Amino acid sequence: MKISIKKKRNYNLIIGLCLTGFFALMALVGQFWTPYSVTSMDPLSVNVAPCLAHPFGTDNFGRDILSRVMNGSGMTFFVAICTVLMGAVIGTVVGALTGYFGGWIDEIIMRINDILLSFPSVLLALLFISFLGPGTVNVILALGILFIPSFARIVRSEMIRCKELDFVKSAKVMGVGPFRIMFVHILPNTLVSMLTAAAIGFNNAVLAEASMSYLGLGVQPPLPSLGRMLSEAQSYLFNTPWYAIAPGVTIILIILGFSMISEGLRAVER
Amino acid sequence: MGMLFDVSHLTIGFEDKGQMNKVVNDLSFSMDEGEILGVVGESGSGKSMTALAAMGLLSPQAHILDGTIMFDGKDMLALSEKERSAISGKDMSMIFQEPMTSLNPVMKIGKQVGESLRLHTSLSKEQIHEKVIRALSDVGLSDPEGLCKKYPHELSGGMRQRVMIAQAMVCSPKLLIADEPTTALDVIVQGQILKLLRKLHRERGVAILFISHDLNVIREICQNVIVMYNGDIVERGKVLDVLEHPKHEYTKTLVASIPDNTTADRKRRPIVTMEHLNVFYRDHEGGFFNKSGRQQVIKELNLQVYEGELMGIVGESGCGKSTLAKTIVGLNTDYNGTLKMDEDLHPQMVFQDPFGSLNPARRIGWIMSEPLRVRGIRTKRERRNMVCDMLTKIGLDSSFYDRYPHELSGGQRQRVSIGAALLMNSRLLVADEPVSALDVTVQSQILELLLDIHKKGGLTILFISHDLNIVRHICHRVAVIYLGQIVELAPVDEIYKNPCHPYTQMLFESALSGNDSRTAHFAPDDIGADIEDTVIGDTGCPFYPRCKYRTQRCEAQAPDFVNVGADQEHFVRCFFEGKITLEKNELHNGDMHII
Amino acid sequence: MKYILKKIVTLIITLLFISLITFTAFSVIPGDAATARLGTDATPEQVAQLREEMGLDDPLPERYVNWLGGAIRGDFGDSYQYDTSTVASLMADRLPVTLILAVMSLVLILVISVPLGIVSARYAGKWLDTLINQVSQVTMAIPAFFLGILITYIFGLILSWFQPGAFVDPSVSFWGCVASLIFPAIAVALPKIAMVVKFLRNSILSEMPKDYVRTAYSRGNGKSRVLYVHILRNALIPVITFVAIIIAEIMAGSIIVEQVFGIPGMGQLLITSISARDYPVVQAIVTYITAIVVIVNFLVDILYRLVDPRVKA
Repeated sequence: MKISIKKKRNYNLIIGLCLTGFFALMALVGQFWTPYSVTSMDPLSVNVAPCLAHPFGTDNFGRDILSRVMNGSGMTFFVAICTVLMGAVIGTVVGALTGYFGGWIDEIIMRINDILLSFPSVLLALLFISFLGPGTVNVILALGILFIPSFARIVRSEMIRCKELDFVKSAKVMGVGPFRIMFVHILPNTLVSMLTAAAIGFNNAVLAEASMSYLGLGVQPPLPSLGRMLSEAQSYLFNTPWYAIAPGVTIILIILGFSMISEGLRAVER
Repeated sequence: MGMLFDVSHLTIGFEDKGQMNKVVNDLSFSMDEGEILGVVGESGSGKSMTALAAMGLLSPQAHILDGTIMFDGKDMLALSEKERSAISGKDMSMIFQEPMTSLNPVMKIGKQVGESLRLHTSLSKEQIHEKVIRALSDVGLSDPEGLCKKYPHELSGGMRQRVMIAQAMVCSPKLLIADEPTTALDVIVQGQILKLLRKLHRERGVAILFISHDLNVIREICQNVIVMYNGDIVERGKVLDVLEHPKHEYTKTLVASIPDNTTADRKRRPIVTMEHLNVFYRDHEGGFFNKSGRQQVIKELNLQVYEGELMGIVGESGCGKSTLAKTIVGLNTDYNGTLKMDEDLHPQMVFQDPFGSLNPARRIGWIMSEPLRVRGIRTKRERRNMVCDMLTKIGLDSSFYDRYPHELSGGQRQRVSIGAALLMNSRLLVADEPVSALDVTVQSQILELLLDIHKKGGLTILFISHDLNIVRHICHRVAVIYLGQIVELAPVDEIYKNPCHPYTQMLFESALSGNDSRTAHFAPDDIGADIEDTVIGDTGCPFYPRCKYRTQRCEAQAPDFVNVGADQEHFVRCFFEGKITLEKNELHNGDMHII
Repeated sequence: MKYILKKIVTLIITLLFISLITFTAFSVIPGDAATARLGTDATPEQVAQLREEMGLDDPLPERYVNWLGGAIRGDFGDSYQYDTSTVASLMADRLPVTLILAVMSLVLILVISVPLGIVSARYAGKWLDTLINQVSQVTMAIPAFFLGILITYIFGLILSWFQPGAFVDPSVSFWGCVASLIFPAIAVALPKIAMVVKFLRNSILSEMPKDYVRTAYSRGNGKSRVLYVHILRNALIPVITFVAIIIAEIMAGSIIVEQVFGIPGMGQLLITSISARDYPVVQAIVTYITAIVVIVNFLVDILYRLVDPRVKA
């Protein structure tokens, strides 16, 4: 984990953190205060184009789009944080144990891992939803389970790499126990790659949640969600194109933020 | 002979963290046609930079600030990329240190060797093929036709370095630049490669710029030498003059750098006893389909390590010496036979690679405290005090406590490894090539540290090495391992004076004598077939296929391990029981340069 | 050869394993299939009779074997939501559409990304590379459905280059179908193009400082020859594995893009079937997509062995 000081600033990391920070803050505020009510409809101002009172316009029910985006991105972040946490914690334990001890259990778990990883996450999430039924909690469960393999694989490969390194061998010779070697000696070495994986995980989680909600299988109405807003906007695309702009751009910028962070972290890793 | 290569006032800077450091400073030297010039220096002394600059291979961070490089009447630095490409590989070619990575892994050998011909001549495909075959057989490779169709990964390291030489020599260049060409190779292969280069030099008259960190290698092959230190030439002249009368401080440390062990070998009681030890090694974890490859690495080994001795174990890579070390410290449990040791011995290990042996995510203090935590020393203050004490003992100071491993040099890391082992209260230190990754001057410092703790603490050290010179200087007893068996075991003076096993003799012959200052010897050009692909029969002496003195008996029957020493123990596993030295003298007309 | 045999055995085991998992999963789903089919106002007698007919009372292993036997023959049973259709006939209509879309996307991806990746690596650090990099980064952040909406709006509604919602069935006109799928294919391909460009660029750049490249220069190779003769083949080897992942991603992307553009493919069928709890259809589609993904992985693995001499066992 040699961190080299570059004369070039790590712009990816800086801009990524700024973008993510901005939208996280907006989402947080959106849970407690929004310019207009998120769910109440105003028949007097239906399909209003962006103006001073409604910077991003209103939808076909007269709801303020800015307010709904602020509140809805909160759900996006919530789902992303839950799923990444779930994937990271379980994945780390599974990866550490299988990687360090090896053997046939490792073989079986990694085969399952490989199979899961060779499937696109949206498809698998769809499958889970078809078993569990639509809804936010089910989306979190489905995505969380799906993220386990990617974290498990990173931790496992790091375990296998480090297991052969002399510093682990010398710890073994000293008589340090296997769990201490795994979690105290080796795990700190995986920090940067774990952070990178988490950033990619956030990226994928936001994308998957938005896709599920777009397909009508994620967050259920009347709660606002960016994906669902876009699916509604599509029907009114010709007359009220602004309806799609705010949620769409918000999703793009949140994903861009996370992907720039992961890009920046990779530069640190090198 | 006319002048071929002339470097004058060359200054090269290297960009690092926004700063420009001069790595080559106002360097001037020249070479005549057909001359072999050695350049010696430590890593970072700038010795490779000059060669890379001439070939136009400098990395993007390196910049030529001043000077000229003239080759064959052309100013190399003023040429366009295209003009330089026309010279590279044709009149001037190069071989590198790492034969394992220097060839394109997805291109067949024949095509790679023939590429220079394709680029620089208008020969037909058939003519190129013919020349490639000749080039491959010229470097001592058998079955060149078959070899052409192979990929690099199918070849051993020694064979790949031969292929590298073939591809460099295929256009009959005027200058061959050899950048540490033998450093990554085993002793015996190293000797063969040097002989091969000498032969090519004599037959083709190619000039060689030979870059190495190893003075012994330089003196084997070069007439003249340049000694570089920190980007400057500190000494130059005839190799023997420089060796015998070094003037500069750095050259002096380079010439006499292995400290001697002055402690007497007091044989007391054995602390480790191995009897009929068979050790196995699993090369990869078995899957559903893959049968796991379980190979026997150590066969029927009998050895005792005595308290307070410095025991050397030598052999080529792959002979099982590292596996033996791992078995003793408990890293390898797949063995049968007897392995007895004192209960409170706590054998600890020092590894070869100083960069892998310390946890990169932890500070030195934490790393060195870990043995204390294992020992159950609970308070943080106590641990800290003990670690700081140890840091001074191993030649560092307490300011290292809060540093990360990547802030330390290779030598400092090795010190930390040794310190951590000592904190474990170890009475047996197993050192697996502890200095072979270090620069010569640093090597001697680490060896001094080892000897120091050996002397003061009565620590027993098992010193595993491929470097026969070091073993000769610091060990009391030496065991020579070949294919998992000890073939010879004797006190150090005895074995160097009177090596009895043909393999030991071969090792010593290939090893470049460090201390005797006779003229560079030019042994007959036995450039040798590659030894790494010899097949071992089940019965008979394991060394049989490579042995010069083999008889039918050797093939049919395995010799016992017998004592041939007169007044001291000298074991050898050979039917000749040491009587071949005499025959050998006759065979080689007294050309016995080491024995 | 032995290796390929081993791989085929693994392939079959994987397929069986996944089919078993999906079958079991669908069998333990809360909610009775017979009730689902008849609706909530059916009498218990009716439900019991249907259960009997559908074989739902048989033990699970027996039902699995029956289902598997049918599946191998291409018979996945009857759809719940469309009373008159068998699953097989539904699939026969939808599968070609999705396959055409997927192949078009893959061709687009390979044709555009490989040259771009090489150019980007060749001019690494220059403005062209920076531009390609930035555009890729943003493109990757656009969700497929929003990209679809953008394309519909810009090229369909504003520029009127195509008519949103218009689709030509391949049975009517193959090339007409291809033409109507161009914009959807672009929507599927764009983010993946960005991914492959980045991957290939990094792969080439990581080869550049290697020792064998230095050797190639020392023989007198020029820059282009080193790139095209020496580096490229080494750099493309990891890309092969990456393309397997991309193909799986194309399948996922097309599910969503079909929804955006209203294309009657497998994706759309999957979504409506999930919403309607039409399990035989879902099961069949999952089995199909699984088979495609697993077989593609198998082929890529074989290709990898052919290209990289080092892994020949």
